[in-house]
Formats: sequence, structure tokens, C-alpha cells
Amino acid sequence: MIIELLTALPSAAPHIEGYVYPNEQTLLWSVLIVIYPYITGLVAGAFILASLVRVFRVSELEPAYRLSLLTALAFLLVAPLPLLFHLGHPERCYEPVITPHLSSPMAMFGFVYAWYIMAVLLLELWFDYRKDLVEWSKKERGVRAWIYRLLTVGVHDVSEPALQLDARMAKAITIIGIPSAFLLHGYVGFIFGSIKANPWWGNPLMPIIFIFSAVVSGIALCVFIYLILNRLRGLPQDIDCLDAMGKFLFLALVIDASLEALDWVHRLYAAEESIHVLKSLAAGKLFYSLLVVQVCMGTFVPLVLLGSIQLFRKRIAEGVRRWTYFGCSVLILVGVLAMRWNVVIGGQLFSKSLRGFTAYKFELAGQEGWLVALFLLLLPFLILAVFIRYFLPLKTDAGVHPLTELPDHKAV
Amino acid sequence: MRPHRIPPQILRLILLTLAIVGVYSVARYFLTPASFGRYGWYRAAALGEIAAYPPDYAGKAACAQCHKDKAEQIAKGPHKALSCESCHGPGMAHVGNPDVKLVKPAAPLCLRCHEANPSRPEWLKQVTLADHYGENCLECHVPHQPNEAP
Ligand code: HEC
Ligand code: HEC
Ligand code: HEC
Ligand code: HEC
Repeated sequence: MIIELLTALPSAAPHIEGYVYPNEQTLLWSVLIVIYPYITGLVAGAFILASLVRVFRVSELEPAYRLSLLTALAFLLVAPLPLLFHLGHPERCYEPVITPHLSSPMAMFGFVYAWYIMAVLLLELWFDYRKDLVEWSKKERGVRAWIYRLLTVGVHDVSEPALQLDARMAKAITIIGIPSAFLLHGYVGFIFGSIKANPWWGNPLMPIIFIFSAVVSGIALCVFIYLILNRLRGLPQDIDCLDAMGKFLFLALVIDASLEALDWVHRLYAAEESIHVLKSLAAGKLFYSLLVVQVCMGTFVPLVLLGSIQLFRKRIAEGVRRWTYFGCSVLILVGVLAMRWNVVIGGQLFSKSLRGFTAYKFELAGQEGWLVALFLLLLPFLILAVFIRYFLPLKTDAGVHPLTELPDHKAV
Repeated sequence: MRPHRIPPQILRLILLTLAIVGVYSVARYFLTPASFGRYGWYRAAALGEIAAYPPDYAGKAACAQCHKDKAEQIAKGPHKALSCESCHGPGMAHVGNPDVKLVKPAAPLCLRCHEANPSRPEWLKQVTLADHYGENCLECHVPHQPNEAP
């Protein structure tokens, strides 16, 4: 390293335009830090979709209730992995949890994460599944039975009052869970928004934008998985459920798009000293990922498509709506990934001197390359497949699960 | 049934929570490094460990013991404030054994400090390579006494 400094021509760095401070020439937050907020966002969004059923009693969404909770769990399990892969010393990851410094948002992640996975997601799933777990542990044999039995944690009481208590608990947990999901992802936005030295990041709107883009991407993910799963299982697509998801997807997208537009309008009008470099960033290095993929394909096209479905639902054939939902979910999923890219990578591409740009060299293999990123994006789907195999059996799937008639329901 | 019986699910949860908090406390007790927090929010022993690393740099005085001529030469010119090792790289290994060669740097090194750049202080003389007399600085400047021509 030192020898390189002594012998390499400073102006010979081809990836640098204009003036860039020495410590800005190489990006430190790589594609894995793009993946990480993307995945936590999907978790938060999928959870919010599920809570619409529990708390707001949107009964059309019931067929997707368990699926979205399991999706949230599968992605949450993978959420810390990009960070671990990114750390130079992954074996030290427990240290910030053992000696947490309260003034460090990054050190707090372990607690936010643990709270969310254990106090919210697992608990809600447990209360929701308790009756089934008890039944399955009696019906199944072998390893399966053991898994179910283990998960009952030794509680076999499925009497009527016990089930009613389960339902009440699950509802209470969901109510705590909504702010927790916002906290989980707002925290990620806060990490960026609180960096006041970086004009691309330092912005109090950041956590809010992150939360709404998370809700958008999470619902899109559930639509996507729901469609694919029913297709694979040869089940009919429940168009009411899809329409409801489409409606909420549209609502969330409207809020998300307005917030981001507001952010830009404000930046352009306030025209602080950084605006020139940010403009050339958006029009130059981020042209494709920001303007083409995020704004046009990931926001504008789905807004128009979903919006027309809201207006002319009656006149659009079911099949067309299904395909539109599928197309929009894919576009949004890609668009939000591009948004994370634009935030994380974009924020490091320009110099804090506001007078130059560096470039991000994306490697293929290697610890922080394409392949690892792709693997981390696919892993949650594998985990979800296992979950679905064990916890979403075909028989009960189509069966009624009248959560919305709580608390006076008879049999869950 | 007694009226205030805790439902079994809730009881399990309380026990589980206690277990988790217990495991965390035990883990914290055993995994917190012994010297943690003595001076601040870090491991005090780290200071000693870092101080015990073998140094890479020897310092100008060490070089002057064997390269008296260079040390005297450099003291005469505008580079007098520079450390030998800021141009030749870390030299501890060379001091211990002169067979370990140090870099004899060339033009790129000079440009690291002298290339025109608005973020540099004005007192530091700067050149724009394209406008200056040539690329090979050593043709016209003696590195240890850069106002002299070789
Ligand atoms: C123990 C005596 C000694 C000390 C101390 C010493 N050197 Fe040397 N140095 C030598 C000798 C002897 C040579 C000649 C070696 C040769 O030509 O093979 C040499 C050669 C060099 C060379 C030329 C290498 C080359 O490729 O021709 C440089 C540059 C150099 N020293 C720099 C330093 C610097 C900088 C320091 C201080 C960190 C230093 N030396 C300290 C003995 C010393
Ligand atoms: C401004 C950067 C710079 C500093 C500071 C510097 N040197 Fe050098 N030194 C060079 C360069 C460049 C060469 C190569 C000269 C050449 O190739 O003709 C060199 C060559 C040498 C050589 C090889 C002998 C020679 O004349 O070719 C020795 C020995 C040496 N330096 C010792 C020192 C010592 C000792 C000091 C500290 C007192 C020192 N240098 C400080 C840049 C520097
Ligand atoms: C570590 C930084 C550094 C390196 C490397 C360096 N210099 Fe310097 N140079 C300085 C400083 C500091 C001064 C003194 C301030 C000044 O006069 O600009 C100086 C002064 C000079 C001057 C005198 C300017 C004047 O008229 O007063 C010349 C000429 C010069 N350097 C040439 C070179 C050459 C040629 C090299 C490459 C062998 C070189 N420098 C490498 C830091 C450096
Ligand atoms: C062909 C000879 C020649 C070469 C090659 C050359 N210089 Fe110079 N340099 C000069 C002369 C002559 C001066 C003093 C007159 C002047 O400033 O125009 C000078 C002055 C300087 C000064 C002082 C400028 C000032 O504002 O006082 C610096 C610094 C310097 N050179 C650095 C370099 C560096 C770095 C290189 C290699 C990239 C280099 N020179 C290559 C001839 C040369």
C-alpha cells in the first residue's frame, strides 16, 4: 500500500473525475450495504401487509396473511448476513451486543433486530400457529412431529379460552409490531439520514422515505410470492385478495412517490451549495439507476398501471389484472432495489468537496461481489420454501382463517 | 381452577424471556473483556497490545547515523522538514539490515505533494505537470536539495 502511494501517479487514477479527497477514492460501503436495507425493507413491508389483516381487519387479505408473515421471517433471518459478509472480522459481530454503546446507531442494530424478530415476528407467528402446531404434532410422525412439538414449547392447551387469549395476544403484538416495523426500517434510514456531512444522505425525510419505500417493496414482494406460489401449487388465484393487495400497493406507492418528489422539489428549490453536484450525479452516474429504473420503471409505470386498475377495475378482465399485478410487483421490486443502490452507492460517488466524482468498481466474485449479493438475495426464497413446506400445507391453506372476526370468533 | 392462574402460554413466554435475558447476562459476564471500560468504552489492554507492535518507521535520526551526507544535504534545502521515510517508505527493516532495499522513488512521488490542487495550502509550491518543464523531475531537481540541479 505504502509502496503504491510512493510509485503510482496520483493523477493516473482513471476512475476519478475532478477533485476527490484521498479517502473518498474507493467506496467503503459496497453492494452488500445496498442489499441490507433492501432486505430489511422487504421484511417491514411484508409485516405491515400482514398487520392490515390483524389490526385493520382487511378480510380480503387473509389468504396472504400467513404467507406474508413467513416471508417477513425468511427475509429477516437473512437481513444481518450482508452486514456479516461486509465486516472484515465477522467473528467479532457479537461484541457490539455484549458492550453496546448507546450513542452508536450501528451498535443498536443488534437490539432493534432482536426485539423485532423475537418480541414481534416470532411471537405473532407463535400465537397464530399454536393451535396448528399442537394438532400437527399429534398428526405427523418422525422429524416433522418433533419440530412441531418443539415449537409448541410444551404448551398443549387448545381450549376455547386459550385460543381466544392467543388471538388477543397476537393482535396486541401486531399493534406493537407496526411501530416496531417502522422502527426497524426507520432505523436503517436514520443511519443514512443522520450523516449530516453528506448532502445526499443527511436529511430528516430519509427515515420516512425509507419506511414508505419499504412498505411498497414489501407488499410488492408478497404479491409476487403469492402469485408464484399459487401457480406452483396449481391453486386458483384469489382475485379479491390480489385486488386488495394491489390497492394497498398503489396507496403506499402514491405516498412513497410523493415523499421522494417532495424531497427533490425541496432540494431543487432550496438549491443549497451541494445542488450542482447532486444534479450532475443524478444526470450522470446515476442516470440509469435513478431516472430510468427507479423513477420511470419502478415508480411511474406501476403508478399508472395500478392507478388505472383502481379507476377501471370493473372493466379490466381478471387475467389482465393478475398479469398487471405481477408485472408491477416485479417492476417495483427492481425499482426499490435501484433506490437503495442510488442512496448507498450514489452517496459515495461524489466528493464532499462537491468538486469531483469517483466510480464504483463492482467485482464479480470476491467477498463483496455480484455473486455474493445474488446469493444473499436468493437465500430468503430458499428459506421461505422450507417454511412453506412445513408451515403452509396445502390443505389448511385454502381453508378459512377468520382473523377478522376477532375477538368473537369461534374456531381459528 | 384458581381465579388468578397464569395461562400456560403466557407462563412459557415469561420463562422464555427470563431464559433469554439470563443467557444474555451470563454471556455478557463471560464475554466482556476483563479490561473493558477501565479508561473508557474500550478494552484498556488494547493500548498495551498496540504499543507492543514492532514499529515500521525508524525516524530521521536513525537514517542519519549511516547516511550522514544525505541528512546534511537535505537540511540545507527546502525539503529540510521532510522525513526521509515520507519519500523512501517505512525503513525499520532496512535499519536493522541494510540489505533490505528501500524504494528509490521518482516523479509520481514528487507529484503526490506538488501537483497543483486547490485543496493544498498556498505556501506549498505547486506545478501543473502539463505546464512545467518536463515529466522527469529528477533531471532538473536533486530530490534531497530540490533547488539544485544535478
Ligand atoms: C545501519 C546503517 C544504515 C541505516 C541506519 C540506514 N541505512 Fe540506508 N543504506 C545503508 C547501506 C549500507 C546502504 C547501501 C546498500 C547497498 O547499496 O546495497 C543503504 C542504502 C540506502 C538506500 C539506497 C537503496 C538503493 O536501492 O540503492 C536508501 C534509499 C536508503 N539507504 C535509505 C535509508 C533510510 C531512509 C534510512 C532511515 C530509515 C536508512 N537508509 C538507514 C545503511 C543504512
Ligand atoms: C523528497 C523526497 C526525499 C526525501 C525527503 C529523502 N529522499 Fe532520499 N532519495 C529520494 C529520491 C527521489 C532518490 C532517488 C534519486 C535517484 O534515483 O537519483 C533518493 C535516493 C536516496 C539514496 C540513494 C543514494 C542516491 O543518491 O541515489 C539514499 C541513500 C537516500 N535517498 C537517503 C535519504 C535519507 C537518509 C534521507 C533523510 C535524511 C532521504 N533520503 C530523504 C527522495 C527523497
Ligand atoms: C512529502 C511531500 C513532498 C514530496 C514527496 C516532495 N516535496 Fe518538494 N517540497 C515539499 C515541501 C513541504 C517543500 C517546502 C515548501 C515549499 O517551498 O513549497 C518542498 C519544496 C520543494 C521545492 C522548492 C520550491 C521553492 O522554490 O522553494 C522544489 C523544487 C521541490 N520541492 C521539488 C520536489 C521534487 C522534485 C520532488 C520529488 C523528488 C519533491 N519535491 C517531493 C514537500 C514535498
Ligand atoms: C527540465 C527541467 C525541469 C524538470 C524536468 C522539472 N522541473 Fe521543476 N523547476 C524547474 C526550474 C528551472 C524551476 C524554477 C523556475 C520556475 O519556477 O519556473 C522549477 C521549479 C519547480 C518548483 C517550484 C515552483 C515555484 O512555484 O517556485 C517545483 C515545486 C517543481 N519545480 C517541481 C517539479 C516536479 C514535481 C517535477 C516533476 C514532475 C519537475 N519540477 C520537473 C525545472 C524543471
